[in-house]
Amino acid sequence: MYFKSGFKYEIIKNPFNKNAGISYAVSGEVIETNKILKKQKVINFNLSEGFKNNDYLYQRTIEYNYPIRMNETSKLVLFLNTEEIANDCKIIETGKYLKLTQCRYDKR
Amino acid sequence: MTKDSFHEKITLALSFLILNNYLFLSLNFFQLIIKINFIIFLIVIFAFYFKNFSENPFLKIFFLFIIFISLGTATSEWDPRSIWLFHAKRIFYDQSIFSVSDNYGELWHNAYPSLAPALASSLATLVGYWNEVFPKLSFLLMFLPPLILTYVFLKNTQYLIFLSIVFFTIGKHLFTGWTDGLVAVYFCLSTFLMYLLIVSENNFFKKKIIFYLIAFCFFITLTLIKNEGIALLLILFVVTFLIKLYQGDLKNNIIKLIYLSFSFIPIILWKLFCYSKGIGNEHINSNILLNILPRLYEIENYKLISYFLLLNEKFIYSLVFFLVAFWIKWNMELFRFISFVALSYIFILFFIFLSTPYDLHWQLDSTAVRVVKSLSFLFAFFGLYNLRNWRIEN
Repeated sequence: MYFKSGFKYEIIKNPFNKNAGISYAVSGEVIETNKILKKQKVINFNLSEGFKNNDYLYQRTIEYNYPIRMNETSKLVLFLNTEEIANDCKIIETGKYLKLTQCRYDKR
Repeated sequence: MTKDSFHEKITLALSFLILNNYLFLSLNFFQLIIKINFIIFLIVIFAFYFKNFSENPFLKIFFLFIIFISLGTATSEWDPRSIWLFHAKRIFYDQSIFSVSDNYGELWHNAYPSLAPALASSLATLVGYWNEVFPKLSFLLMFLPPLILTYVFLKNTQYLIFLSIVFFTIGKHLFTGWTDGLVAVYFCLSTFLMYLLIVSENNFFKKKIIFYLIAFCFFITLTLIKNEGIALLLILFVVTFLIKLYQGDLKNNIIKLIYLSFSFIPIILWKLFCYSKGIGNEHINSNILLNILPRLYEIENYKLISYFLLLNEKFIYSLVFFLVAFWIKWNMELFRFISFVALSYIFILFFIFLSTPYDLHWQLDSTAVRVVKSLSFLFAFFGLYNLRNWRIEN
């Protein structure tokens, strides 16, 4: 059943669960950034141009991952799977939507 | 204790605890103190529900219903997520409202006041973690003080109509993490208290100190919810001052006005802090004249703003209700006060929209429907209040 308010039975069943409602709050790409960053114990990260050119992905990735911070000088860069990765970046982990890479240079 | 004085005390206690939470976070108090403050806040809400259990059932049922909806929705819209709940998340992890001093994520309007995010972060502190659903519940809890206070003035069917007005004008802003509904309700009740305590010639409430304390708390809250609140409170003070000056009755009220104006201090301190750290407001800056001048002489801009603001259907319904209510029972004093306040705000809104650094149509399309809620709620509330007085007289 569709509610204009955005009400979902899946959420009300357990609203205090740590992961309650995440799939309704943000997209799969954003959820995956958090999974990978947490798994790799990353403290700060940078985003590829693909992320930065997409307002939704850029903003939601920063918000959703806090307190893991986006840092322009970080060498750990998230790329979308649809993007080409520069030769000087080494893939650390590949997910369904994106890759975490370690790049030699600060600026992507 | 009468039932009315119980509601007044509950209102004051809840308002005070909301502000206390903000103060504790400002002073970097221990998490334990912040948790205790929030637990007391919840105890007061329980006291409201269970002491005089059968009293005010409409609000109690209405509020449980909204809590249920709020806990069944995720926060997905831009403003609630990126501004209010992101600020709350930052306060939760950094345990300070001043963590914005690093200006991390300039896009997220770090200079905005953070009373509502502070309460959301404290709820998360009490629960022990952050998620995408429950923190916004605290925004809903902030509606309680003004809604409880209204019960002192409107009873039974009148109160049910009042709740219908809340639902009609505020709508889903009650539970989705927006703050525009909070601004509308606090602005309306602040206007009402200003009318009762200063503008009105004579009434019983002028002698009750608790109403001045509630007004003081509501005024502070209004300024600390959102920047619009600062403009709205300023309008209330200026209009009241001018009316009293015109009536030659300023001398009897100036001390009260001065005491109440201390409510601007917290927001002034916050803005000074932001200014000292270079955390800016992209709307009000040195380019304001450059933005406004080219738009000032274009009649189409005024038409566009009027279309978005004044042809909003909820605004029109509320205005018609207000006018009909005053046509049925004329109250010059109240009509004049509300009209001046509303016209001043409309004037300021025209100025703000004309000076926006963004595309005018885009700005109006994204914000007009939200800011006009304050006016819609104001008109509908005072229309109802005026009819209630007419009924009492009959």
